[in-house]
Amino acid sequence: MPVRALVHRFALLFLILAAFAIMLLGKAETVVVERVRTGVVDVVAPVMDAASRPIATVTEGIDRIGNFFTVYEDNERLREQNARLLEWQNAALALAAENSTFRKMLNYIPEPGARFAAARVIGDSGGVFVRSVLVNAGTQAGVEKGDAVINGDGLVGRVAETGRQSGRVLLITDLNSRIPVVVEKTRIRAILAGDNSGQPKLAFLPPNARLEVGDRIVTSGHGGVFPAGLPVGRIASVSDDVMRIEAFADFDRLEYVRIVTSFPGETAGHIVPSTVRRPAR
Amino acid sequence: MVAGSFRCIDRFARLLSPFVISAALVLFAALPVQIPGYGQIAFNVGLMTVFYWAIYRPDLMPAVAAFSLGLWQDILVGSPVGLNALILLLANWAIVSQRTFFQGKSFGVIWFCFALVTIVAAFLAWIIVCGLNASLIDPSPGLFQGVFTIGVFPFTAWLLARLQHALLRPVDVSV
Repeated sequence: MPVRALVHRFALLFLILAAFAIMLLGKAETVVVERVRTGVVDVVAPVMDAASRPIATVTEGIDRIGNFFTVYEDNERLREQNARLLEWQNAALALAAENSTFRKMLNYIPEPGARFAAARVIGDSGGVFVRSVLVNAGTQAGVEKGDAVINGDGLVGRVAETGRQSGRVLLITDLNSRIPVVVEKTRIRAILAGDNSGQPKLAFLPPNARLEVGDRIVTSGHGGVFPAGLPVGRIASVSDDVMRIEAFADFDRLEYVRIVTSFPGETAGHIVPSTVRRPAR
Repeated sequence: MVAGSFRCIDRFARLLSPFVISAALVLFAALPVQIPGYGQIAFNVGLMTVFYWAIYRPDLMPAVAAFSLGLWQDILVGSPVGLNALILLLANWAIVSQRTFFQGKSFGVIWFCFALVTIVAAFLAWIIVCGLNASLIDPSPGLFQGVFTIGVFPFTAWLLARLQHALLRPVDVSV
């Protein structure tokens, strides 16, 4: 009996040490930990995909009931928005025509367009200290580590891990997210740094940069990992030491996302160690 | 002979059920629910199930099972791999070592002990994550998750009690 107790005690000690060892290996971005992780997620991804569908249907149903009560206000708002957008459409058509004339004058060769992979969010609840989601697209769909992830509203995050048919997307609000951005109007460069709060902050701003609440922030494309010009958000608050961004994407209601699998001017970027692209095997 | 081996398989499956049920609940908790803010404070299912089984059937939730459940949760949820493994392991050990204290205690006492364990676990997780990221992280989401988890525990305990009653009653307790 004492021998058994001794074994028990050592087993506990061994498991505690193992937990710490795994944590440190994971922190050092060891390939083994990542492989195991993506492998396991790949296996359960179809299950999560199937199980998350009824939940999405129920949420949609509830939404539909909610919409029923606001249909009049929505209609008014949409009419007004439609009138405004028609004006913008006219402006855009005029600009497009003008642009094509200028291109002809300059003998400009258009770049090939970007390619996307669509994915559904199958896992959420990124835990208390992480902001990430699981999606049902992986290397089979051409998704690579570091790819930008967007939805209809704006930038969502970047692909942090890829399995064959699943991937983990690190949201721009996560503590480890760093994205080169630019203020659309003034072209001031900065790094968008998440800190697990709902509003990521702007870091590495040039001294006495003039920024105003409401300024649009887009990706700068520096480093070649992300395409330039993806809408990110608006400046929500400006104070002496911290500037926070209200993202366009609603992270609470992510259902479908688009992953930018290739875009013109893409290079193997080395900005942040965790965005390093590995050559395709 | 055949009937005997079937009984053996049936018994084995039933004894494995606490772990399998816990693993399934962890998986379900990781699904997207699209409730604003839920993702950040999603309750810690692993902690609830490990606590429950450690009190009522510690023989079916050994240290290795708690550790594996934690790893499973880490992988699905995206938290640093090993974090929940360590926390669930320690929670399991703490409860199993105090097993005699819990015998015959009312649910109120058990709930109170669960609250204590949850708060300690949240604090420990916060310290470890701060250490891993080498920066001071806002502890409030961890606190909210803890409060939420404590609030949901009676429901989870009721559910697990029903499952225990349905699956484990026919099994010989003297393993």
